[in-house]
Amino acid sequence: MSLKLPQNPNAGLFKQGYNSYSNADGQINKSIAAVRELHQMCLTSMGPCGRNKIIVNHMGKITITNDAATMLRELEIVHPAVKVLVMATEQQKIELGDGTNLVMVLAGELLNVCEKLIALGLSAVEIIQGYNMAKNFTLQELDKLVVDDIVDKNDKSQLIKIIKPVIASKQFGFEDLLSDLVADAVSHVLPKTSQSTNPYFNVDSIRVVKIMGGSLSNSTVIKGMVFNREPEGHVKSLEGGEQHKVAVFVCPLDIANTETKGTVLLHNAQEMMDFSKGEEKQIDAMMKEIADMGVKCIIAGAGVGELALHYLNRYGILVLKVPSKFELRRICRVCGATPLPRLGAPTPEELGVVETVKTMEIGGDRVTVFKQESNEISKTATIILRGATQNNLDDIERAVDDGVSAIKGLMKPSGGKLLPGAGATEIELVSRITKFGEKTPGLLQLAIKQFALAFEVVPRTLAETAGLDVNEVLPNLYAAHTMTDDEANEPSSQNDCLFKGIDTLGETSEGVKDIREDGVYDMLATKKFAINVATEAATTVLSIDQIIMAKKAGGPKPPQGPRPGNWDQDD
Amino acid sequence: MSLQLLNPKAESLRRDAALKVNITSAEGLQSVLETNLGPKGTLKMLVDGAGNIKLTKDGKVLLTEMQIQSPTAVLIARAAAAQDEITGDGTTTVVCLVGELLRQAYRFIQEGVHPRIITDGFEIARKEALKFLDEFKIDKKGEDGAIDREFLLQVARSSLSTKVNNELTEVLGPIVTDAVLNVSHSNDNNSNAMDLHMVEIMQMQHLSPKDTLFIKGLVLDHGGRHPDMPIRVENAHVLILNVSLEYEKTEVNSGFYYSSADQRDKLAASERKFVDEKLKKIIDLKNEVCGLDSNKGFVIINQKGIDPMSLDVLAKHNILALRRAKRRNMERLQLVTGGEAQNSVEDLSPSILGYSGLIYTETIGEEKFTYVTENKDPKSCTILIKGSTHYALNQTKDAIRDGLRAVANVIKDNTVVPGAGAYFIAAANHLKKSNMTKLGAKGKTKTGIEAFAEALLVVPKTLVKNSGYDALDVLALCEDELEDAQDGGDNERRYVGVDLNIGDSCDPTIEGIWDSYRVLRNAISGATGIASNLLLCDELLRAGRSTLKEGAPQ
Repeated sequence: MSLKLPQNPNAGLFKQGYNSYSNADGQINKSIAAVRELHQMCLTSMGPCGRNKIIVNHMGKITITNDAATMLRELEIVHPAVKVLVMATEQQKIELGDGTNLVMVLAGELLNVCEKLIALGLSAVEIIQGYNMAKNFTLQELDKLVVDDIVDKNDKSQLIKIIKPVIASKQFGFEDLLSDLVADAVSHVLPKTSQSTNPYFNVDSIRVVKIMGGSLSNSTVIKGMVFNREPEGHVKSLEGGEQHKVAVFVCPLDIANTETKGTVLLHNAQEMMDFSKGEEKQIDAMMKEIADMGVKCIIAGAGVGELALHYLNRYGILVLKVPSKFELRRICRVCGATPLPRLGAPTPEELGVVETVKTMEIGGDRVTVFKQESNEISKTATIILRGATQNNLDDIERAVDDGVSAIKGLMKPSGGKLLPGAGATEIELVSRITKFGEKTPGLLQLAIKQFALAFEVVPRTLAETAGLDVNEVLPNLYAAHTMTDDEANEPSSQNDCLFKGIDTLGETSEGVKDIREDGVYDMLATKKFAINVATEAATTVLSIDQIIMAKKAGGPKPPQGPRPGNWDQDD
Repeated sequence: MSLQLLNPKAESLRRDAALKVNITSAEGLQSVLETNLGPKGTLKMLVDGAGNIKLTKDGKVLLTEMQIQSPTAVLIARAAAAQDEITGDGTTTVVCLVGELLRQAYRFIQEGVHPRIITDGFEIARKEALKFLDEFKIDKKGEDGAIDREFLLQVARSSLSTKVNNELTEVLGPIVTDAVLNVSHSNDNNSNAMDLHMVEIMQMQHLSPKDTLFIKGLVLDHGGRHPDMPIRVENAHVLILNVSLEYEKTEVNSGFYYSSADQRDKLAASERKFVDEKLKKIIDLKNEVCGLDSNKGFVIINQKGIDPMSLDVLAKHNILALRRAKRRNMERLQLVTGGEAQNSVEDLSPSILGYSGLIYTETIGEEKFTYVTENKDPKSCTILIKGSTHYALNQTKDAIRDGLRAVANVIKDNTVVPGAGAYFIAAANHLKKSNMTKLGAKGKTKTGIEAFAEALLVVPKTLVKNSGYDALDVLALCEDELEDAQDGGDNERRYVGVDLNIGDSCDPTIEGIWDSYRVLRNAISGATGIASNLLLCDELLRAGRSTLKEGAPQ
């Protein structure tokens, strides 16, 4: 790059292709407008009645979902201000798994409402200050709104209480079925401990296998693992009822090779015959040693040589190849085996046990199932999902993943705290934050009140997507949450007003229902984190006074639009 | 001009045009950066070619991330980057000063003063300003030669508040101070030998920046590579190694020749033997120090690789082994654990082992982190930055880097300068008041000093402007107060700075706002140098394209 003399003053301070947007040209308003576009899009996908979207990404992959994190990932946003919000939702996804749409919608709404304040002439610094004050107040207030606390984390019905609302927001209508599956799988895995301690729960111990065909109701849970391939040799299954010994090898089941390049030095035909014989003998001896240890099943992390397979077949040992390192580690955990880095007879401690190995045909796929029936707790449980299309399966998997993440959140200390769902918490926050704002002197009051108003978006959207009349339902909801002084002093778990939420099913005429009937609860941790990151993202966008964008770097050109003419015209 | 001296493709600007271009580019750069100055400065969002986002307030980051094209601006940007390298702070100050010096000088140039005369004035003014700085600074050496922590906290806070928001400043201030104190105690009689590299800065994408931690020990961004290795080791003996525990190919081209499978097996075994012997020595050492005592653990941190088979052997002996540690971490580990790094396994003995009370591995998402903590008198430490997003992490990291430098500067200098623009207001006042002839400025040279004095005020002016108050109002208030103090015949020096929260004057020594001595010194010297050079420049030339590549018509 050579320097260039600027011909007119101040032009060409930066390299060509730089774009700079400063607040003087209304950068903030433009950013908010961009955010609003995405906000509107996510809005319709929120809650149990949220609509699905079809997204075709640049690779032509079709995704059908109402999960905000997936949508935003596939959309490949480039606007820098919007990207800040997308990053916030990603963080929510990583930390808690659920509540991504809440982050997006809340952050978008926070920016939306502050547009008015900017027009009024408030400076961004003041808005940020107000928002932060309001956020701190909200987080305190949320603790007071806790209505339920799950103490017994081993009770399946309690687990379902948490899983159900999470899944309902993704797969409405199947929530009972799916939450049952997830709760089943989780209770297989959870160590049975006393009530007070928080059992250790690893998300990794719940596996999901998607097999096309059948319908969702054919889905099952298996204690153990399922592999999407069949065993290599003739032996395809091991009967249940006894403990079969398992050896796990991470090295190839083949003739040992040197790291240094080796050459076979042969002088005549006899030597060559001897060499091949010697190899065969060696392998035979090795496999016999293994078979003598009583091993009935070998899991190989790398290749299985033809010769080795031949002898293993002869000794009646089942061989399964598991190419993924992570799957290998999981199966080790399930069987209690130690992975062996070199070929040789394992010691008894290094062997694991498995009860049943079965090769099954589900739909068109042949799968191998490793089951640990009798064990009180298996280390891994697998949910086999069935469904008609790949897209559908993917979407169900995402819902299940969210359910499992919810359990992970529950296992954290004080993770069992629940808030009323269906917009009840948000409505309560609107009035409480507004009250707090009114007590705050100065200009910050405006920002705090707008912060409160932003929360209204949740019940409003829930009502809207459910097809209710928003103008009627919202006032009803506000009214239901208005409490007398006596009521306000009641402990939160007995305060009836707190439980009034949006009736998404439209069963009641006024559109307001006690959420205890349907068991719609939100987790405190999820909501807290979501409010935190959403406020952080919104204030970050507000605090920027200038955006300086470099020219887009090279790389593969985006695919050109379809060529004119018929698609199969080749010329 | 019928006869061209230059290559027809060369570009040139001469005389006034050259000067004008220099001045406007300097002002242009100033106007880009000035909004970032001070605690109330705003953020800039930079989007690079790949679409990555960076949020910053730090002048240095801005200047290095933006590709600047104007040659004048590049010159200033380099000077500012040098300022950052030497002192770690004050880049925006340099850019503002250069821009303002040129702007003020141009006023007089338009009235017919030759740039040379102005630069002469600048030179005199600079000397006087630096002399004044020496009088203005406050020595902060305690009786025992150490500076107390409370004071350093104020310094850290002053520096950090210009980079990140208030809440975060409160969190990071103590962290930064403790980190510097931790590494600076290592050499009491010569405190200049402090090595800030011994403060490891580790990023962790998790939680929010407010959860950033100071750890008296080391955090490594990897873990044991074997599932059976312990993830929590108490009372650990730490072996710091730089020995490859994997099969190394020979340097010369070599090959095996064999004629039977048995022979090949033997050869394969002999390849392993070399590594196995090394492993045996290590395990012998472990058995020697730990014996059968299950309370003691053994941890190996190796700079070179460890292959899966060796990992397996180590895991069987319940040893946590980390491979491919950073070279710098090897140095830090020696300071933290007190062990000695070994380049061979030949002379292992219990005396070279380090000790750590607790070593544990934490997994966050896909990434593993190993903490070496509860050490005996660690002389190295870690600042563990947390943040939910990439840009938040980087922002915090830049701020911490500057904060560390600020605290280190004060410890090295043993002096501070009252902040909040106090020095600039006082110095401008001093220059305007002093007898210029005595300073050696005669005739028109005075204009240079006048321009310099006026230009110094740009820093407090910008500070005030960024916080939304009227710059001239606040500055007048400060100057009045300064005059009052002088009229009152106070022998005590009064320090008057700007208060950005209420738009009034304040005493920075009471508010606890401090600037670093060397930052100001370098900024003033550097800025004057660059400004003088730019003023004296009367032609800009850009070489034409070489005729050899005449392929590309324009």
